[in-house]
Amino acid sequence: MSELLTVANLSKQFGEQSVLRDVSFSLEQGEVLAVLGRSGCGKTTLLKILAGLEMPTAGTLLLHGQDLRPVPPNERQMVYLYQEPLLFPHLTVFENVAFGLRIRNVAKAEINQQVQELLAELDLWEHAQKAPHQLSGGQRQRVSFGRALIIRPRLLLLDEPFGNLDAQTRADMQQLFLRVSRQHQITSLFVTHDSREALTVGTRFAYLDQGQLTSFASVGEFVQDARTAIRSELAFWENIQQKLE
Amino acid sequence: MRSDFASPGISPPDPLSKKEGAPVRESDSEPRKSGAPSFLERGSGGRAVFLAAALILLFGLPFVLLGLLAVGENWRFPQAMPPAYSLDAVRSLLAADNDLLLGLGRSLLLAGTVAVVATAGGFALARAMAQSRSTARWEAASYLPYALPPVLLAVLIQPFIIRLHLSGSVGGVLVGLLLVALPFATLLMRSFWSAQTTEYEHLARTLGCTPGQALRQVLLPLAWPLLRTALVQTFLLAWFDFGLTNVLSVGKVRTLTVQVFTYIGEANAPLAAVASLLLLLPPVVLLLVNKSALLRKP
Repeated sequence: MSELLTVANLSKQFGEQSVLRDVSFSLEQGEVLAVLGRSGCGKTTLLKILAGLEMPTAGTLLLHGQDLRPVPPNERQMVYLYQEPLLFPHLTVFENVAFGLRIRNVAKAEINQQVQELLAELDLWEHAQKAPHQLSGGQRQRVSFGRALIIRPRLLLLDEPFGNLDAQTRADMQQLFLRVSRQHQITSLFVTHDSREALTVGTRFAYLDQGQLTSFASVGEFVQDARTAIRSELAFWENIQQKLE
Repeated sequence: MRSDFASPGISPPDPLSKKEGAPVRESDSEPRKSGAPSFLERGSGGRAVFLAAALILLFGLPFVLLGLLAVGENWRFPQAMPPAYSLDAVRSLLAADNDLLLGLGRSLLLAGTVAVVATAGGFALARAMAQSRSTARWEAASYLPYALPPVLLAVLIQPFIIRLHLSGSVGGVLVGLLLVALPFATLLMRSFWSAQTTEYEHLARTLGCTPGQALRQVLLPLAWPLLRTALVQTFLLAWFDFGLTNVLSVGKVRTLTVQVFTYIGEANAPLAAVASLLLLLPPVVLLLVNKSALLRKP
C-alpha cells in the first residue's frame, strides 16, 4: 500500500490555549482511521486543519509526499462531513449530489450518468427530485454521503456523521459506509465518541484526548487501553449476561 | 362484593338512556357530517366575515377617500360626496413640466439605490460582525441611529454633508438614508450568520468551491429569503422617509413624500391625493410580489 497522508508533530493554539499537541499519524490508501474522543478533545480542529479550513500553528502535513499547507480547501479534494447532513435546501436531491461536479464544470451528460448511478447505489433514485426537507434523517445523511463521494475524494473527513441518527438508522449507515468505503477504496478519518462505532467502521484506531493523539498498532491494543472504556463496557454486558443466566 | 362497574373510569350503564324502541335523535346516533358547521363554528365563521369586512373597510376607506380627493372638484364640508368630478389632476401627470413624475423617478432611484446598497452592505457587515470578537458591541452600535429621531440625525450629520459638498444633492440624501438603512439591514442579516452558515460555507469549500463560488452557489441562495426581506424593508424605509430627506435636501431634492407634504401645505387636495396614490403604488406592488413570502405558513 502507498502512504497517502502523513501528519507529523501537528500543533494548534488558539491564543494561550493549546488545542492540538504534537499530533502524528499516517494513513494509507483505503484505510479508515477511527479516532475516538470526547467532546472538546480537539478532534474537530484536527479535521478542519486537514481540510484546510484552519491553519496549524506548527507541524507537517504531507499528501503523497507534497506539503498540503499552501493548498486551499477547494483544491485538496478532502470532503468534510458534519454531524448534520447540511443538504442545500434550495437544491433537489439530484442537484445536491451533482453539486461537486457542476462546480468542476463536468459535462451535463456525464453528470447525469454519474449521479444516476450513485443515487441507485445509495438506494435514493426514487427520491431524486425531492427537496431535502421531504427526506428522513437517514436518507438525508445518505444524500450528504453521495454528494461527497461523487467527487472521488482523496480523503473523507467525518465528524461524528451519524451522531444525530436513531440507533437502527445509525447501524444501517455504518454498514453502508463500510460497503461503499470498501467498494470505492475510500480513505477516511472517522471521528466518533462511540467506541462501538469506532470498532465497526475503523481499520485502524486512535484515541484523542486533550489534543494528544495515541495511535494503536492493533484493535487489541485499542480495546485494552483503559481510556477507550471498551473493557469496562464489555464487563458491564458480561455482568448483565451472568445475571440473566 | 364490589361490582366491576364501580371501578374508577368505568360507569354502570344508565337505565334511562337509549332504551330499545325509544326514539333516538339523529345527533345522538350518528356523528355529525363533517361538511355541516356546528353552532359554534357558524358563530366563529360569522365573526371572521365581520372582522374581514371591518378590516377591508378600515384599510380600504382611506384609499377610496384618496381616489375621491384626486378626482373631486370643489368638495367642501359638509358635502358627503364631491359635487363634480374631473380628471385634471390625474391628467396633469402627463404634462411635460409636471414635477410629480420627476419626484416619482427621484424617489424610485433613491429608495432603489438605498435598498440595494444597504442590503449588500448589511450582508457583508453582518458577516464581519459575526466573525468579530466584539460582536455584542458592534450590535449595540448598530442600534445607535435609532436612538435619535431621523430629523435630529439629519441635523447632526448636516455639517458633514455640507463639508462633503453634498448638501441639497441626491448624493447627500442618499448618504443620510444609508445611515439609517444600513444598520437596519445589518441587524436584519445578523441572524443569517450562524455557526451553521459557517459550516455550510466550509462544506462548500471542501466540495470544491472557491470563496466566490461558495458565496454565489451556497450563501446567497441560503440567504435569499432574508435578503428579499431586507430589500423590501429598506426600500420602504427610504421611500416613506420625509424628515431626514427634507432636512438634507434643503428643498432641492423633491422626492414624492416631500411633494405630498408640500401640496398638503398648499391645501392642494387633488394633487396631494394624486401624489399620495403614486406614493402607495410601489409598496402595493412590493407587497403583491412578495405575497407568497409574507404569507408563508410556518
